[in-house]
Amino acid sequence: MTLRALLDAFIHTPAPRPTRDGWWCLGAALGLGFAAMNTGNNLLYLLTALLLGLVIVSGVLSERSRRGLRLHPVLPQEIYAGRPFALGARLENVKRRRVSRSLAVETPGRRLYVDRLAPGQARLLTWETTLPRRGRRRLAGVRVTTRFPFGLFVKTSRLLLDDEVLVFPAVRPLAEPWRRRLAAGGPRPVRRRGRGHDLYNLRDYRSGDDRRMIHWRSSAKTGTLVVRELEAETALDTRIVLVGDGADAARLEAALSEAASLAAHLTRADAAIELVGPGVHVPVGRGRAHLRRVLGALALYEPSAAPTARPAQRPGVSDLEIPLG
Amino acid sequence: MTVPATSALTVAIYLLVADGLAALVLGGLLGPAGALVVGIAVAGSWWQEPLRRRIAEVPRLGAVLVALAALAVTLEVVTLAPAMLDAFTHLLVFLLLIKLYTRRTLRDVRDITFLAFFMLVAVSPATTSVVFLGLFVVFLVIGTWLLMLRHLLAEAEGAAAPPLRVGRDLVGLSLAASAATIVITALLFVIIPRVGQAALPLRPQVSRMVSGFSDRVELGAFGEIEADATVVMRVHLKAWEGGSGRPERLPNLRWRGMALDAFDGRAWTVSRSTLRLTLRRQLPVPFAVHQYYGGPVLTQEIYLEPIGSEMIFGAARVLRLHGRSDFVTLDDLGNIAVPAPSARLNYTVESEPEVGDPRQADVADARVPPDARWLARYTQLPEIAPRITDLAREITAGSADRYEAATRLSEWLGRNLRYTRALQRTTELPPLEEFLFVQRAGNCEYFAAALAVMARSLGIPARVVNGFQRGEWNPYGDYFMVRLRDAHSWVEVFVSGAGWVSLDPSPRVGVETPVAAARATLWLDSLRLSWYRYVVSWSLHDQLAAAESVRRATWSWSAMALSARDVATLPRLAPALVAVALAAVLLVRRRRAARETAVTAMPRFYARALRALARRGLMPAAGETAREFALRAGAGVPLAPLTGVYERVRFGGAALTPAEAAEAERWVAALEQART
Repeated sequence: MTLRALLDAFIHTPAPRPTRDGWWCLGAALGLGFAAMNTGNNLLYLLTALLLGLVIVSGVLSERSRRGLRLHPVLPQEIYAGRPFALGARLENVKRRRVSRSLAVETPGRRLYVDRLAPGQARLLTWETTLPRRGRRRLAGVRVTTRFPFGLFVKTSRLLLDDEVLVFPAVRPLAEPWRRRLAAGGPRPVRRRGRGHDLYNLRDYRSGDDRRMIHWRSSAKTGTLVVRELEAETALDTRIVLVGDGADAARLEAALSEAASLAAHLTRADAAIELVGPGVHVPVGRGRAHLRRVLGALALYEPSAAPTARPAQRPGVSDLEIPLG
Repeated sequence: MTVPATSALTVAIYLLVADGLAALVLGGLLGPAGALVVGIAVAGSWWQEPLRRRIAEVPRLGAVLVALAALAVTLEVVTLAPAMLDAFTHLLVFLLLIKLYTRRTLRDVRDITFLAFFMLVAVSPATTSVVFLGLFVVFLVIGTWLLMLRHLLAEAEGAAAPPLRVGRDLVGLSLAASAATIVITALLFVIIPRVGQAALPLRPQVSRMVSGFSDRVELGAFGEIEADATVVMRVHLKAWEGGSGRPERLPNLRWRGMALDAFDGRAWTVSRSTLRLTLRRQLPVPFAVHQYYGGPVLTQEIYLEPIGSEMIFGAARVLRLHGRSDFVTLDDLGNIAVPAPSARLNYTVESEPEVGDPRQADVADARVPPDARWLARYTQLPEIAPRITDLAREITAGSADRYEAATRLSEWLGRNLRYTRALQRTTELPPLEEFLFVQRAGNCEYFAAALAVMARSLGIPARVVNGFQRGEWNPYGDYFMVRLRDAHSWVEVFVSGAGWVSLDPSPRVGVETPVAAARATLWLDSLRLSWYRYVVSWSLHDQLAAAESVRRATWSWSAMALSARDVATLPRLAPALVAVALAAVLLVRRRRAARETAVTAMPRFYARALRALARRGLMPAAGETAREFALRAGAGVPLAPLTGVYERVRFGGAALTPAEAAEAERWVAALEQART
């Protein structure tokens, strides 16, 4: 090891903090040192040196254990305000030879312990957390700590996993008035595959098809299994229109949560949705990816004084207005 | 192969306890009977579980036991114990037994480790044996293993992990850690400055009392020790300046202790007319003892075991004495004494040994002083049988000078009388007369007394000297091992121009067959000397000498690498450069630490809240997070909002806003008030 490497290690090593046992050890070393000086007894000096030697070895071993660790975040695709979600990290020992021992990953909610991590080995750690508000939020972050080898000192890494994530507005079960209103429009078949009631097509059975969809009569005629495909059936293709200036913050958040819940509900029903509001427009689309775009827009929504620029309504698409307050 | 960590921990606990108890036995703080009782009690605690349950059923039993122990120790200190340390030891043993029988948690294991460690501490003032080194190393190896196991078990327990098993890799790591600790401990031991004063002797060592080295010595006093092979002195020959050949082969090399000048027919004493001078030393300079006559100088480093004598031993004539004692008593017989006779002495003496024919010497200061009292003192005799004087005259008839006469007497005694350790009296004659004319056999004291008396009867100044023969040379450590059986008496006669010259009439060397020690014994003894020299007696003086050696080595190395001009400026610049570099490193480190501390340390408001809750008996369990603790604390304690702020600060790395700080302060105050 060069002098530069030594200096670097000295400067960049976080100062260890004594545990309760560590304070005992330091106190005993101090007391013994005092006794040694006052008695001139070299055996007391020897015992004092032993305690100090243990402290130094403890510092070196804990540093060897703490170094060469990488923490890779494992984040979920969708995070909703107020809803607990599983956050994960892969703790990896990237050292070539040295084993890391007795590591603790301290998260705000849990303390996860890894007793041994061989060189090149990784361990997936998960814990649950909740972010209460929508928008771009910084994760609380975690620290890797170790008290190895004697439990006398705690060595802590710098803050890790303090990344920014996008938190969607809270999505809740749809309120009953909204359910009634959506149901009032009535389902209407459309010429595309879906989950409606009218027949769209007959085709050969493929592995994985729902057996309830087998068309037995056609199968009997042809001698091969034939399944039904149904038409999509929707009257729910919807344009969510945000109206108002959003001056009331509480009302605004409730409205955005309502919009997000509506969008999620409609996506589950295979409806196309479009989002329009003051300063925001997400063109019409369908599916989970589109839902994430809508939720992202709602997550980042800032009240704007700009008037709602409402594009022309497409045929078969109904408007649902949500007042922002 | 792996074993359950709990089993390994239990074994380690008992090994550590055994090591601590062995140390107490070594230091004499636990006698054989006590050791047996405590050993049985400790062994019984291996099956402690049923007893622990019973003890747990009896409320306050533990408190009562500890109170009783405290009372017993107080009584012991006041009435029974020979020293405070003994009472302290008994308390340690008592607490250890309580802990062994009631141990339940890993905290108890920590306490047992500390108690075993303090047993070594207790022994440190009571022993200087090299066995301590072995016990120390064993403690270090087992202690390291135990601490490591305890830590891993505590962490696994907190994380509710499956039962821990340990294998070879952990054992290897523990051994490596032990080896590293030994190296660092040795280094620290050498460099920790020895700046203190020995002001608190906890327990004086009990020394062995050996006859023959006091200011009154009966004839035959050496008889009982002449067969004792205990090593009492180790003499390392450090330097031989101005001399030729190897110093260990010098003829007549003996370790002079005490000279005696008055004889009453049965015992030799130091006469009342002896001038004693007690010197107090203010500065670390050597004590000057005798005047230098210009011959070669032999420097000896001597380790003298406590033998109940205050005497300083060394090759005759001692010129200077280097030692730690603040007081030294010198007298005009050349005797040197120091206080603290019960402690092991380590000192260095510079001597001018007798080489060559003393009749050739002509030192002005070594001539017979023109003082009748001086001559009367060294020719004093009790009433002796005329036939002793007649015999002396007969032997020395025709001698050219006094030295030749004394030499003839010495040779006659050695040739015609027999050396024996079996002393017996068969007549009522005075001892010396019986020795010369009836028994014609005796030990070295009789020979020395006979020579001194016969020389004095002829008017030759003479005195008897007690000390040690040279002993056995140990080639492993380059020193003489001097045993009790090497205790010896000889004679000094005054030769004008040469001073006091040694003559040894005893034919002991020819009679005794030297028994050479086994190689292993020699090696072990050299290890013991190294222990004394480099551990027990390590001093500020040694530190300075070592530092000087390092400085010289570094200097010679750097002098080779640098030009003469650089060398001239380096000494002035080097300390400044080192200081600046150190200050820069410390500054950077401190700044970094301050930044780290800002986000890693526990916020003060939360620490205060924890203290307030601790007073109410609510403490976070091992491995419990802040949020879990807040949940456990329950709704009655306003900890949940505080926990949220704590998490933001501690884990979010965010600083508190003034509003948040004020709010946190209110919550903490509420917690603190709730306890009152």
